[in-house]
Amino acid sequence: MMNYGIIPISHLQLAMSIILVLMAGLVSAFLKLGLLKSLIWGTIRAFIQLSLIGYLLAYIFQINHFILILLIMLLMCYIAAREATRRVNVPTQEPLLVSFLSLTASSLLVSVIVVTLIITPRPWYSAQIWIPIFGMILGNSMNGISLALDRMYNEVRSHTAEIEALLCFGASPWEAVKNSVRKALRAGMTPTINSLMVVGLVTLPGMMTGQILAGADPREAVRYQFVVMVMITASAALGCLLLIGISYRKMFTEDLALTEDMRQSHN
Amino acid sequence: MEVFFQFTQITHQFAPNGPFIHASGSLQPGKALAVQGPSGAGKSTLLRILARLIKPTSGTVIYQDQNWQAIPPRYWRRKIHYLPQKPVMFEGTVRDNLKLPFELDLLGKEGSLDLDKAKLLLTEVGLPLASLDHDARTLSGGEAARVALVRSLLIDPEILLLDEPTAFLDTETGKKVLMYLANWLQNKKNRGLLLVSHKENNLAFFPGMQAVVIQSEGTRG
Repeated sequence: MMNYGIIPISHLQLAMSIILVLMAGLVSAFLKLGLLKSLIWGTIRAFIQLSLIGYLLAYIFQINHFILILLIMLLMCYIAAREATRRVNVPTQEPLLVSFLSLTASSLLVSVIVVTLIITPRPWYSAQIWIPIFGMILGNSMNGISLALDRMYNEVRSHTAEIEALLCFGASPWEAVKNSVRKALRAGMTPTINSLMVVGLVTLPGMMTGQILAGADPREAVRYQFVVMVMITASAALGCLLLIGISYRKMFTEDLALTEDMRQSHN
Repeated sequence: MEVFFQFTQITHQFAPNGPFIHASGSLQPGKALAVQGPSGAGKSTLLRILARLIKPTSGTVIYQDQNWQAIPPRYWRRKIHYLPQKPVMFEGTVRDNLKLPFELDLLGKEGSLDLDKAKLLLTEVGLPLASLDHDARTLSGGEAARVALVRSLLIDPEILLLDEPTAFLDTETGKKVLMYLANWLQNKKNRGLLLVSHKENNLAFFPGMQAVVIQSEGTRG
Protein backbone atom coordinates (compact mmCIF):
# COMPACT_ATOMS: atom_id res chain seq x y z
CA MET A 1 0.00 0.00 0.00
CA MET A 2 1.34 3.41 -1.00
CA ASN A 3 1.42 5.93 1.78
CA TYR A 4 1.95 9.53 0.75
CA GLY A 5 1.40 10.95 4.22
CA ILE A 6 -0.58 14.12 4.67
CA ILE A 7 -0.34 16.66 1.81
CA PRO A 8 -0.15 20.08 3.47
CA ILE A 9 -2.36 22.93 2.19
CA SER A 10 -0.32 26.13 1.79
CA HIS A 11 -1.70 29.66 2.44
CA LEU A 12 -2.01 30.20 -1.28
CA GLN A 13 -3.77 26.90 -1.78
CA LEU A 14 -6.10 27.71 1.10
CA ALA A 15 -6.86 31.07 -0.52
CA MET A 16 -7.89 29.17 -3.66
CA SER A 17 -10.87 27.80 -1.74
CA ILE A 18 -12.36 31.29 -2.15
CA ILE A 19 -13.30 30.03 -5.63
CA LEU A 20 -15.74 27.64 -3.97
CA VAL A 21 -17.29 30.43 -1.90
CA LEU A 22 -17.58 32.54 -5.06
CA MET A 23 -19.43 29.72 -6.79
CA ALA A 24 -22.00 29.53 -3.99
CA GLY A 25 -22.14 33.36 -3.95
CA LEU A 26 -22.84 33.50 -7.67
CA VAL A 27 -25.74 31.06 -7.34
CA SER A 28 -27.19 33.21 -4.58
CA ALA A 29 -26.68 36.48 -6.49
CA PHE A 30 -27.91 35.12 -9.80
CA LEU A 31 -31.12 33.68 -8.35
CA LYS A 32 -31.56 36.58 -5.87
CA LEU A 33 -31.72 34.17 -2.94
CA GLY A 34 -30.71 36.88 -0.46
CA LEU A 35 -28.14 34.54 1.06
CA LEU A 36 -25.03 36.49 0.09
CA LYS A 37 -24.63 38.26 3.42
CA SER A 38 -25.13 35.04 5.38
CA LEU A 39 -22.73 33.22 3.08
CA ILE A 40 -19.97 35.75 3.54
CA TRP A 41 -20.52 35.95 7.30
CA GLY A 42 -20.70 32.16 7.52
CA THR A 43 -17.47 31.75 5.58
CA ILE A 44 -15.64 34.26 7.78
CA ARG A 45 -16.98 32.67 10.94
CA ALA A 46 -16.11 29.15 9.81
CA PHE A 47 -12.56 30.25 8.95
CA ILE A 48 -12.01 32.07 12.24
CA GLN A 49 -13.67 29.38 14.40
CA LEU A 50 -11.73 26.54 12.77
CA SER A 51 -8.43 28.45 12.90
CA LEU A 52 -8.94 29.22 16.57
CA ILE A 53 -9.87 25.65 17.39
CA GLY A 54 -6.85 24.47 15.39
CA TYR A 55 -4.48 26.62 17.49
CA LEU A 56 -6.37 25.77 20.69
CA LEU A 57 -6.18 22.03 20.02
CA ALA A 58 -2.48 22.26 19.15
CA TYR A 59 -1.93 24.08 22.47
CA ILE A 60 -4.00 21.55 24.45
CA PHE A 61 -2.26 18.58 22.82
CA GLN A 62 1.05 20.14 23.74
CA ILE A 63 0.11 20.66 27.41
CA ASN A 64 -1.76 17.33 27.56
CA HIS A 65 -2.86 17.78 31.16
CA PHE A 66 -5.52 15.45 32.52
CA ILE A 67 -7.48 18.19 34.39
CA LEU A 68 -7.46 20.48 31.36
CA ILE A 69 -8.80 17.69 29.14
CA LEU A 70 -11.57 16.99 31.65
CA LEU A 71 -12.52 20.68 31.88
CA ILE A 72 -12.69 20.97 28.11
CA MET A 73 -14.84 17.87 27.89
CA LEU A 74 -17.25 19.30 30.49
CA LEU A 75 -17.44 22.57 28.59
CA MET A 76 -18.19 20.63 25.41
CA CYS A 77 -20.98 18.79 27.28
CA TYR A 78 -22.46 22.07 28.48
CA ILE A 79 -22.51 23.55 24.98
CA ALA A 80 -23.99 20.34 23.55
CA ALA A 81 -26.67 20.21 26.29
CA ARG A 82 -27.61 23.82 25.61
CA GLU A 83 -27.88 23.10 21.91
CA ALA A 84 -29.92 19.93 22.49
CA THR A 85 -32.49 21.71 24.65
CA ARG A 86 -32.68 24.99 22.79
CA ARG A 87 -35.98 24.14 21.13
CA VAL A 88 -37.60 22.34 24.05
CA ASN A 89 -40.27 24.62 25.48
CA VAL A 90 -41.12 23.19 28.87
CA PRO A 91 -40.43 25.84 31.49
CA THR A 92 -40.61 23.66 34.60
CA GLN A 93 -38.62 20.68 33.41
CA GLU A 94 -35.01 21.92 33.69
CA PRO A 95 -34.09 20.13 30.45
CA LEU A 96 -30.64 21.76 30.35
CA LEU A 97 -29.48 20.17 33.59
CA VAL A 98 -31.00 16.81 32.67
CA SER A 99 -29.40 16.88 29.21
CA PHE A 100 -26.05 17.92 30.63
CA LEU A 101 -26.06 15.07 33.14
CA SER A 102 -27.12 12.43 30.64
CA LEU A 103 -24.75 13.65 27.91
CA THR A 104 -21.81 13.80 30.30
CA ALA A 105 -22.45 10.40 31.87
CA SER A 106 -23.12 8.55 28.61
CA SER A 107 -20.30 10.18 26.61
CA LEU A 108 -17.79 9.69 29.41
CA LEU A 109 -18.68 6.04 29.89
CA VAL A 110 -18.49 5.24 26.18
CA SER A 111 -15.30 7.22 25.61
CA VAL A 112 -13.62 5.54 28.59
CA ILE A 113 -14.42 2.13 27.07
CA VAL A 114 -13.25 3.19 23.60
CA VAL A 115 -10.04 4.87 24.74
CA THR A 116 -8.91 2.54 27.50
CA LEU A 117 -10.01 -0.81 26.06
CA ILE A 118 -9.90 -0.36 22.28
CA ILE A 119 -7.49 2.42 21.29
CA THR A 120 -5.23 2.18 24.39
CA PRO A 121 -2.99 5.23 23.81
CA ARG A 122 0.06 5.96 25.98
CA PRO A 123 -0.29 7.88 28.19
CA TRP A 124 -3.94 6.87 28.58
CA TYR A 125 -5.02 10.51 28.93
CA SER A 126 -3.74 11.58 25.53
CA ALA A 127 -5.64 14.74 24.56
CA GLN A 128 -5.11 13.93 20.89
CA ILE A 129 -7.27 10.83 21.31
CA TRP A 130 -9.74 11.89 24.01
CA ILE A 131 -10.94 15.20 22.60
CA PRO A 132 -11.74 14.12 19.02
CA ILE A 133 -13.33 10.85 20.21
CA PHE A 134 -15.34 12.67 22.87
CA GLY A 135 -16.40 15.30 20.33
CA MET A 136 -17.70 12.70 17.91
CA ILE A 137 -19.60 10.87 20.63
CA LEU A 138 -21.04 14.09 22.00
CA GLY A 139 -22.17 15.46 18.65
CA ASN A 140 -24.16 12.35 17.88
CA SER A 141 -25.55 11.89 21.39
CA MET A 142 -26.64 15.50 21.30
CA ASN A 143 -28.73 14.88 18.20
CA GLY A 144 -30.20 11.73 19.69
CA ILE A 145 -31.04 13.40 22.98
CA SER A 146 -32.58 16.40 21.28
CA LEU A 147 -34.84 14.15 19.20
CA ALA A 148 -35.78 11.95 22.15
CA LEU A 149 -36.56 14.86 24.47
CA ASP A 150 -38.66 16.66 21.90
CA ARG A 151 -40.51 13.47 21.02
CA MET A 152 -41.18 12.55 24.65
CA TYR A 153 -42.81 15.87 25.50
CA ASN A 154 -44.82 15.88 22.27
CA GLU A 155 -45.99 12.31 22.79
CA VAL A 156 -47.05 12.95 26.36
CA ARG A 157 -48.79 16.20 25.50
CA SER A 158 -50.74 14.57 22.68
CA HIS A 159 -51.73 11.56 24.79
CA THR A 160 -52.76 13.20 28.06
CA ALA A 161 -56.22 11.58 27.96
CA GLU A 162 -54.71 8.07 27.70
CA ILE A 163 -52.10 8.81 30.35
CA GLU A 164 -54.68 10.20 32.77
CA ALA A 165 -56.98 7.23 32.09
CA LEU A 166 -54.14 4.91 33.10
CA LEU A 167 -53.39 7.00 36.19
CA CYS A 168 -57.07 6.65 37.15
CA PHE A 169 -56.63 2.86 37.17
CA GLY A 170 -53.83 3.30 39.70
CA ALA A 171 -50.97 3.22 37.17
CA SER A 172 -47.57 4.45 38.31
CA PRO A 173 -46.08 7.38 36.35
CA TRP A 174 -43.81 4.92 34.54
CA GLU A 175 -46.71 2.64 33.59
CA ALA A 176 -48.67 5.66 32.38
CA VAL A 177 -45.97 7.05 30.08
CA LYS A 178 -43.97 4.00 29.04
CA ASN A 179 -45.50 3.89 25.55
CA SER A 180 -44.59 7.54 24.95
CA VAL A 181 -41.13 6.91 26.38
CA ARG A 182 -40.56 3.95 24.06
CA LYS A 183 -41.46 6.09 21.06
CA ALA A 184 -39.10 8.81 22.27
CA LEU A 185 -36.23 6.34 22.68
CA ARG A 186 -36.85 4.92 19.23
CA ALA A 187 -36.84 8.44 17.78
CA GLY A 188 -33.53 9.17 19.52
CA MET A 189 -31.80 5.94 18.45
CA THR A 190 -33.16 5.41 14.93
CA PRO A 191 -30.89 7.88 13.08
CA THR A 192 -27.69 6.28 14.41
CA ILE A 193 -28.96 2.76 13.72
CA ASN A 194 -29.98 3.81 10.20
CA SER A 195 -26.53 5.24 9.62
CA LEU A 196 -25.03 1.84 10.59
CA MET A 197 -26.97 0.35 7.68
CA VAL A 198 -25.71 2.66 4.96
CA VAL A 199 -22.22 3.54 6.12
CA GLY A 200 -19.68 2.79 3.41
CA LEU A 201 -22.43 2.32 0.81
CA VAL A 202 -23.98 5.76 0.56
CA THR A 203 -21.45 7.86 2.43
CA LEU A 204 -17.84 7.65 3.45
CA PRO A 205 -17.90 9.14 6.92
CA GLY A 206 -15.87 12.27 7.63
CA MET A 207 -13.55 10.65 10.11
CA MET A 208 -12.57 7.87 7.75
CA THR A 209 -12.21 10.27 4.82
CA GLY A 210 -10.01 12.48 6.98
CA GLN A 211 -7.74 9.59 7.92
CA ILE A 212 -7.47 8.46 4.30
CA LEU A 213 -6.65 12.02 3.19
CA ALA A 214 -4.05 12.15 5.92
CA GLY A 215 -2.39 9.14 4.31
CA ALA A 216 -3.71 6.30 6.44
CA ASP A 217 -4.25 2.84 5.01
CA PRO A 218 -8.00 2.64 4.19
CA ARG A 219 -8.13 -0.80 5.80
CA GLU A 220 -6.91 0.78 9.03
CA ALA A 221 -9.25 3.75 8.62
CA VAL A 222 -12.33 1.51 8.36
CA ARG A 223 -11.40 -0.19 11.63
CA TYR A 224 -11.44 3.18 13.34
CA GLN A 225 -14.64 4.08 11.58
CA PHE A 226 -16.34 0.90 12.75
CA VAL A 227 -15.36 1.64 16.35
CA VAL A 228 -16.65 5.20 15.92
CA MET A 229 -19.99 4.02 14.54
CA VAL A 230 -20.67 1.56 17.32
CA MET A 231 -19.53 3.97 20.00
CA ILE A 232 -21.92 6.58 18.60
CA THR A 233 -24.75 4.05 18.66
CA ALA A 234 -23.95 3.07 22.24
CA SER A 235 -23.71 6.64 23.47
CA ALA A 236 -26.94 7.70 21.74
CA ALA A 237 -28.73 4.75 23.36
CA LEU A 238 -27.24 5.37 26.79
CA GLY A 239 -27.73 9.13 26.57
CA CYS A 240 -31.39 8.81 25.60
CA LEU A 241 -32.01 6.21 28.29
CA LEU A 242 -30.42 8.35 31.00
CA LEU A 243 -32.20 11.46 29.80
CA ILE A 244 -35.61 9.80 29.81
CA GLY A 245 -34.86 7.98 33.07
CA ILE A 246 -34.07 11.24 34.83
CA SER A 247 -36.69 13.42 33.20
CA TYR A 248 -39.88 11.34 32.85
CA ARG A 249 -40.63 11.65 36.56
CA LYS A 250 -40.43 15.45 36.27
CA MET A 251 -43.54 15.42 34.10
CA PHE A 252 -45.51 14.41 37.21
CA THR A 253 -46.46 16.30 40.34
CA GLU A 254 -45.94 15.06 43.89
CA ASP A 255 -49.49 13.67 43.60
CA LEU A 256 -48.29 11.55 40.65
CA ALA A 257 -50.51 13.52 38.23
CA LEU A 258 -49.28 15.20 35.03
CA THR A 259 -47.89 18.68 35.63
CA GLU A 260 -49.81 21.63 34.27
CA ASP A 261 -47.46 22.27 31.36
CA MET A 262 -47.79 18.62 30.29
CA ARG A 263 -51.59 18.68 30.17
CA GLN A 264 -51.99 22.00 28.39
CA SER A 265 -54.43 20.46 25.95
CA HIS A 266 -56.97 20.02 28.77
CA ASN A 267 -57.23 23.61 30.00
CA MET B 1 -76.27 10.28 58.87
CA GLU B 2 -72.77 8.99 58.22
CA VAL B 3 -70.64 11.01 55.82
CA PHE B 4 -67.96 8.96 54.15
CA PHE B 5 -66.74 11.36 51.49
CA GLN B 6 -66.55 15.08 52.09
CA PHE B 7 -64.87 17.89 50.19
CA THR B 8 -64.59 21.21 51.92
CA GLN B 9 -64.01 24.61 50.35
CA ILE B 10 -62.28 23.30 47.27
CA THR B 11 -60.99 26.36 45.43
CA HIS B 12 -59.20 26.36 42.14
CA GLN B 13 -57.83 29.28 40.24
CA PHE B 14 -57.13 28.55 36.57
CA ALA B 15 -54.34 31.11 36.18
CA PRO B 16 -52.88 33.91 38.28
CA ASN B 17 -55.64 36.58 38.33
CA GLY B 18 -57.77 34.19 36.25
CA PRO B 19 -61.24 32.80 36.95
CA PHE B 20 -61.77 30.50 39.92
CA ILE B 21 -64.24 28.00 41.31
CA HIS B 22 -65.40 27.09 44.81
CA ALA B 23 -67.22 23.95 45.86
CA SER B 24 -68.06 22.02 49.03
CA GLY B 25 -70.13 18.89 49.35
CA SER B 26 -70.48 15.52 50.95
CA LEU B 27 -71.60 12.06 50.07
CA GLN B 28 -73.34 9.40 52.14
CA PRO B 29 -72.77 5.70 51.49
CA GLY B 30 -74.99 4.33 48.77
CA LYS B 31 -75.95 7.80 47.58
CA ALA B 32 -75.30 9.92 44.52
CA LEU B 33 -74.41 13.59 44.36
CA ALA B 34 -75.09 15.76 41.32
CA VAL B 35 -72.49 18.37 40.40
CA GLN B 36 -74.28 21.32 38.90
CA GLY B 37 -73.42 24.65 37.38
CA PRO B 38 -73.59 26.39 34.02
CA SER B 39 -71.41 25.33 31.10
CA GLY B 40 -67.76 26.13 31.68
CA ALA B 41 -68.33 26.57 35.43
CA GLY B 42 -65.67 23.95 36.20
CA LYS B 43 -67.73 20.81 36.85
CA SER B 44 -65.22 18.56 35.11
CA THR B 45 -62.42 20.40 36.86
CA LEU B 46 -63.99 19.59 40.23
CA LEU B 47 -64.15 15.88 39.35
CA ARG B 48 -60.54 15.99 38.16
CA ILE B 49 -59.52 17.69 41.42
CA LEU B 50 -61.34 15.02 43.44
CA ALA B 51 -59.46 12.35 41.40
CA ARG B 52 -56.25 14.19 42.30
CA LEU B 53 -55.39 14.81 38.65
CA ILE B 54 -55.33 18.55 39.39
CA LYS B 55 -54.09 20.07 42.61
CA PRO B 56 -56.61 22.65 43.87
CA THR B 57 -55.46 26.04 45.05
CA SER B 58 -56.95 25.19 48.45
CA GLY B 59 -59.41 22.83 50.07
CA THR B 60 -59.44 19.39 51.53
CA VAL B 61 -61.14 16.05 51.09
CA ILE B 62 -61.92 13.54 53.81
CA TYR B 63 -62.59 9.96 52.82
CA GLN B 64 -63.60 7.46 55.52
CA ASP B 65 -62.15 9.70 58.25
CA GLN B 66 -58.83 10.09 56.44
CA ASN B 67 -57.43 13.23 54.88
CA TRP B 68 -56.76 12.64 51.19
CA GLN B 69 -53.10 13.56 51.58
CA ALA B 70 -52.71 10.57 53.91
CA ILE B 71 -53.73 8.16 51.14
CA PRO B 72 -51.21 7.34 48.34
CA PRO B 73 -52.46 8.90 45.06
CA ARG B 74 -52.37 5.65 43.09
CA TYR B 75 -54.51 3.87 45.63
CA TRP B 76 -56.80 6.92 45.84
CA ARG B 77 -57.42 7.05 42.09
CA ARG B 78 -58.09 3.35 41.96
CA LYS B 79 -60.77 3.73 44.69
CA ILE B 80 -62.06 7.26 43.92
CA HIS B 81 -62.23 6.67 40.21
CA TYR B 82 -62.78 9.35 37.59
CA LEU B 83 -64.25 8.58 34.19
CA PRO B 84 -64.03 11.48 31.73
CA GLN B 85 -66.83 12.35 29.36
CA LYS B 86 -64.83 11.48 26.25
CA PRO B 87 -64.11 7.76 26.41
CA VAL B 88 -60.48 6.70 26.05
CA MET B 89 -59.93 3.50 24.09
CA PHE B 90 -56.50 1.91 23.91
CA GLU B 91 -55.09 -0.09 21.03
CA GLY B 92 -56.47 -3.62 20.76
CA THR B 93 -59.84 -5.30 21.18
CA VAL B 94 -62.52 -4.49 23.73
CA ARG B 95 -61.29 -7.51 25.68
CA ASP B 96 -57.73 -6.05 25.69
CA ASN B 97 -59.15 -2.78 26.95
CA LEU B 98 -61.00 -4.48 29.78
CA LYS B 99 -57.87 -6.43 30.73
CA LEU B 100 -55.59 -3.40 30.65
CA PRO B 101 -56.14 -2.14 34.24
CA PHE B 102 -55.29 -5.61 35.57
CA GLU B 103 -52.00 -5.58 33.71
CA LEU B 104 -50.90 -2.67 35.87
CA ASP B 105 -48.86 -3.36 38.96
CA LEU B 106 -51.43 -2.16 41.52
CA LEU B 107 -54.52 -3.98 40.20
CA GLY B 108 -52.51 -6.94 38.97
CA LYS B 109 -51.77 -7.74 42.61
CA GLU B 110 -55.49 -7.83 43.39
CA GLY B 111 -56.35 -10.32 40.68
CA SER B 112 -57.09 -10.65 37.01
CA LEU B 113 -60.02 -9.73 34.80
CA ASP B 114 -63.20 -11.63 35.74
CA LEU B 115 -64.44 -12.38 32.24
CA ASP B 116 -67.86 -13.62 33.41
CA LYS B 117 -68.40 -10.39 35.26
CA ALA B 118 -67.23 -8.45 32.21
CA LYS B 119 -69.75 -10.27 30.00
CA LEU B 120 -72.52 -9.61 32.49
CA LEU B 121 -71.70 -5.92 32.63
CA LEU B 122 -71.52 -5.59 28.84
CA THR B 123 -74.99 -7.10 28.63
CA GLU B 124 -76.30 -4.80 31.38
CA VAL B 125 -75.25 -1.71 29.41
CA GLY B 126 -76.69 -3.08 26.17
CA LEU B 127 -73.53 -4.25 24.37
CA PRO B 128 -73.45 -7.64 22.60
CA LEU B 129 -70.89 -10.20 23.82
CA ALA B 130 -69.42 -10.33 20.32
CA SER B 131 -68.12 -6.81 20.91
CA LEU B 132 -65.41 -8.32 23.16
CA ASP B 133 -63.45 -9.14 20.02
CA HIS B 134 -64.09 -5.86 18.23
CA ASP B 135 -61.31 -3.37 17.65
CA ALA B 136 -61.85 -0.84 20.45
CA ARG B 137 -60.71 2.10 18.35
CA THR B 138 -63.42 1.52 15.74
CA LEU B 139 -66.33 1.61 18.20
CA SER B 140 -68.92 4.37 17.95
CA GLY B 141 -68.91 7.09 20.62
CA GLY B 142 -71.79 5.48 22.46
CA GLU B 143 -70.23 2.01 22.38
CA ALA B 144 -66.85 3.31 23.51
CA ALA B 145 -68.49 5.25 26.37
CA ARG B 146 -70.14 2.06 27.60
CA VAL B 147 -66.97 -0.03 27.25
CA ALA B 148 -65.11 2.65 29.24
CA LEU B 149 -67.80 2.52 31.94
CA VAL B 150 -67.65 -1.28 32.09
CA ARG B 151 -63.84 -1.13 32.32
CA SER B 152 -64.12 1.30 35.24
CA LEU B 153 -66.78 -0.78 37.01
CA LEU B 154 -64.64 -3.92 36.67
CA ILE B 155 -61.88 -2.44 38.82
CA ASP B 156 -64.51 -2.13 41.58
CA PRO B 157 -64.04 1.48 42.64
CA GLU B 158 -65.72 2.76 45.80
CA ILE B 159 -66.64 6.18 44.50
CA LEU B 160 -67.26 6.84 40.82
CA LEU B 161 -66.74 10.35 39.50
CA LEU B 162 -68.75 10.33 36.29
CA ASP B 163 -68.62 13.17 33.79
CA GLU B 164 -71.71 13.11 31.58
CA PRO B 165 -71.92 9.29 31.33
CA THR B 166 -74.90 9.47 28.98
CA ALA B 167 -73.60 12.21 26.67
CA PHE B 168 -72.95 9.79 23.80
CA LEU B 169 -75.99 7.57 24.42
CA ASP B 170 -79.54 7.59 23.07
CA THR B 171 -82.33 8.00 25.63
CA GLU B 172 -83.09 4.28 25.97
CA THR B 173 -79.48 3.18 26.39
CA GLY B 174 -78.87 6.12 28.72
CA LYS B 175 -81.75 4.91 30.94
CA LYS B 176 -80.32 1.39 30.99
CA VAL B 177 -76.91 2.69 32.09
CA LEU B 178 -78.34 4.95 34.80
CA MET B 179 -80.55 2.16 36.13
CA TYR B 180 -77.53 -0.08 36.32
CA LEU B 181 -75.57 2.62 38.17
CA ALA B 182 -78.45 3.09 40.66
CA ASN B 183 -78.32 -0.66 41.37
CA TRP B 184 -74.54 -0.65 41.53
CA LEU B 185 -74.72 1.94 44.34
CA GLN B 186 -76.88 -0.37 46.44
CA ASN B 187 -75.09 -3.65 45.63
CA LYS B 188 -72.23 -3.22 48.02
CA LYS B 189 -71.61 -1.23 51.18
CA ASN B 190 -69.74 2.06 50.96
CA ARG B 191 -70.22 2.98 47.36
CA GLY B 192 -70.84 6.50 46.14
CA LEU B 193 -71.36 8.38 42.91
CA LEU B 194 -70.62 11.94 41.84
CA LEU B 195 -72.36 12.78 38.63
CA VAL B 196 -72.04 15.67 36.23
CA SER B 197 -75.07 15.69 33.96
CA HIS B 198 -76.83 18.30 31.91
CA LYS B 199 -79.91 16.12 31.59
CA GLU B 200 -82.17 16.98 34.57
CA ASN B 201 -84.19 13.77 34.30
CA ASN B 202 -81.03 11.68 34.67
CA LEU B 203 -81.09 12.62 38.33
CA ALA B 204 -84.47 10.97 38.93
CA PHE B 205 -82.80 7.55 38.81
CA PHE B 206 -81.03 8.11 42.10
CA PRO B 207 -83.36 8.37 45.08
CA GLY B 208 -82.27 10.88 47.70
CA MET B 209 -79.75 12.42 45.36
CA GLN B 210 -78.38 15.72 46.52
CA ALA B 211 -76.70 18.41 44.48
CA VAL B 212 -73.65 20.58 44.82
CA VAL B 213 -73.59 23.80 42.81
CA ILE B 214 -70.21 25.08 41.70
CA GLN B 215 -69.65 28.73 42.46
CA SER B 216 -67.48 30.26 39.80
CA GLU B 217 -66.16 33.74 39.23
CA GLY B 218 -64.92 34.95 35.86
CA THR B 219 -65.09 32.94 32.71
CA ARG B 220 -62.60 30.54 31.28
CA GLY B 221 -60.81 31.16 28.03
